[in-house]
Amino acid sequence: MLDQAASRRLLTTDAASQRSAGSLRVGRINLEVRQSIPLWLQALILGGAALLGIAVSAALLVAAGVSPKDLFDEFVVETFTDSGNFHSILFQAAPLIFVGVGAAVVFRIRFWNLGIEGQMIWGGIGATFVVLHTIGPPALRLPLMMLFAVLAGMAWVALPAWLRMRLGVNEIITTLLLNYVALNFLLHLLYGPWIDPKDAFPHSQQFHSFERLPEIGWGLSSALPIALLCTALAAWLVLFSRFGFYTKFVQDNDRMALAVGVPIKAVTFVCVLLSGALSALAGFVIATAQEGRLTQSFFEGYGFSGILIAFLARNNPIAAMIVAVLVAVLFVSGRSLQVFYQIPFAMVQLIQAIIVISVAASEFLIRHRLHWVH
Amino acid sequence: MLHFLVNWLASTPSFATPYALAALGLIISERVGVLSLGAEGFLLVGALAGVAADLEFGGLPAAALVVAMLAAAAVSLLFALLVVVLRVNQVIAGLAIVFFCQGLTSLVGTLGGWTNRAIAGLHAVAIWPLSAIPFAGRILFTQDLVVFATVPIFFLVSRILSRSMLGLRLRSVGENPDAADATGVSVSLYRFGAVLAGSALIGLAGGYLSVVDVKIWIPDMTGGRGWIAIALVIFARWQPWRALFGALLFGCIEALIPRIAAAGIQAPQYFLLMTPYLATIAVMVWVGLTKLGRLKEPAALGRPHVREERR
Repeated sequence: MLDQAASRRLLTTDAASQRSAGSLRVGRINLEVRQSIPLWLQALILGGAALLGIAVSAALLVAAGVSPKDLFDEFVVETFTDSGNFHSILFQAAPLIFVGVGAAVVFRIRFWNLGIEGQMIWGGIGATFVVLHTIGPPALRLPLMMLFAVLAGMAWVALPAWLRMRLGVNEIITTLLLNYVALNFLLHLLYGPWIDPKDAFPHSQQFHSFERLPEIGWGLSSALPIALLCTALAAWLVLFSRFGFYTKFVQDNDRMALAVGVPIKAVTFVCVLLSGALSALAGFVIATAQEGRLTQSFFEGYGFSGILIAFLARNNPIAAMIVAVLVAVLFVSGRSLQVFYQIPFAMVQLIQAIIVISVAASEFLIRHRLHWVH
Repeated sequence: MLHFLVNWLASTPSFATPYALAALGLIISERVGVLSLGAEGFLLVGALAGVAADLEFGGLPAAALVVAMLAAAAVSLLFALLVVVLRVNQVIAGLAIVFFCQGLTSLVGTLGGWTNRAIAGLHAVAIWPLSAIPFAGRILFTQDLVVFATVPIFFLVSRILSRSMLGLRLRSVGENPDAADATGVSVSLYRFGAVLAGSALIGLAGGYLSVVDVKIWIPDMTGGRGWIAIALVIFARWQPWRALFGALLFGCIEALIPRIAAAGIQAPQYFLLMTPYLATIAVMVWVGLTKLGRLKEPAALGRPHVREERR
């Protein structure tokens, strides 16, 4: 342990010492590394940072030509009062929950799976493969599509996982570059063998009704219950099971975990495959519940949203589910801004990035205490 | 065949230059211990700023490239603030910056009306009489000014890094920030400066892509080149000249794609477009297999320097 007296000692930062060297001496900032922080203060700082990010984003939107009143209407009033809007948010939430939980599971063990979009593409390809080759009887078609999607997504993420564990190849770069490979393969299929024979557009043929996820009433797709079920399973696995305890061990101190006999490789591999499977399911639900066919750009924007959701949720699957619904609000509102105010959809990505930057920066205040010394 | 070969090699430098400049910028910032995953974002900012400046200033490509450098350096201020001052996890900060820049550039490009507008850009110049030499004149002496400037830039940076007091301090900050701090080198200041300088070079690479190569701005036009440059730096073991070699290798691969199409060879287009990414992964695997001997990464790479946490 650190010597308590030494760690309590006030130490000066570079910036502060430069400031105090000036002629105008109003005081200086002293920095102290916190030993612990009460939960309420931590929540206050993180919440404040998220609010700051939202405020900056709102200011940006106002600068881009949306009046503050319309902004409030679009993001708050419509979300809670308009039932159509509420439905589209729940509709949008399902794939976001999948990518968010998938990222949360894998970031726990410090494996940076940035290939979410590639795995989504393979999920879509796997499902469409079953449709185009009419594998299995109609009654079994949907489960088979789901199975193929999951297997394809897991296979796509297995390679970078294996490369990292076997050869120490940086998974940030391999997973990310494989997205481009997957995208080019998707385009090859859609402009080549899988092109729609009816209209010759670069998307697959329309799925049959029994190949699409059914509705469960109130206009809700069954994608949402599947997403909630997967969240519950993932939450049990990483929060309550012995396996989850292992993941925490690997995250906090992998050398210690190795020393006491935690099967690090197996834990890592299972987490990575699970993440690939969940990302692939995101692709599966977009293809089967939203689009009804394989399209060129169904995955766009989900990769970063998954990372954002996992980061804001602190890699907790339950929290990820809640954050995913909030991001869905952003997605849906972003689309109506695009339609009604000609704001490019890139604004949604920018807002997400601003919130991440703001929250990440606020961790400085969680880890350090600032003193103003006169 | 010879015609094909000359055309291919002559177009290689213009494909290799963005990789080379971006890799050099990354080396500067990684040598001081800052893992600059934001490269893809800085490339985009440079690319958009270059085209915007060219359109607004009425076609001054050299000025456009300077604006590209300044714009990337300006955005990197935010990154430097996050990782150097606020000690944010460098992976998170880098990723956030990439997505920030992706959103920002496609938004600003649309709002400014700079998207999908062709510009005159910078053209190749022939250095007579050297350009009159058969084959070699076409390949080596008929290029644009940035290609010609790249080798001197590499010479300068590699010289500074390995042979000057400034370079020694920069490297010491990347290898052992605590020791550097103890000898009176301001870790924050050197890291800040190196991130800014490195990002300016990455911005130049981005400006080159849009102003010299394709002469147009399209959202997300960099197509993962920033990530390939990061892989190149690992492949080059943080050595500038090896990075130039790697960039030429990737330039060769990328230059081959349009040449194959132009030569009328039937090849599945989308599989050809995969090759730079697959080649990058192959190179990473090769690095993993060989470990490349004694050349190690900067010891403090990715580690924030926290003076208050003395060990």
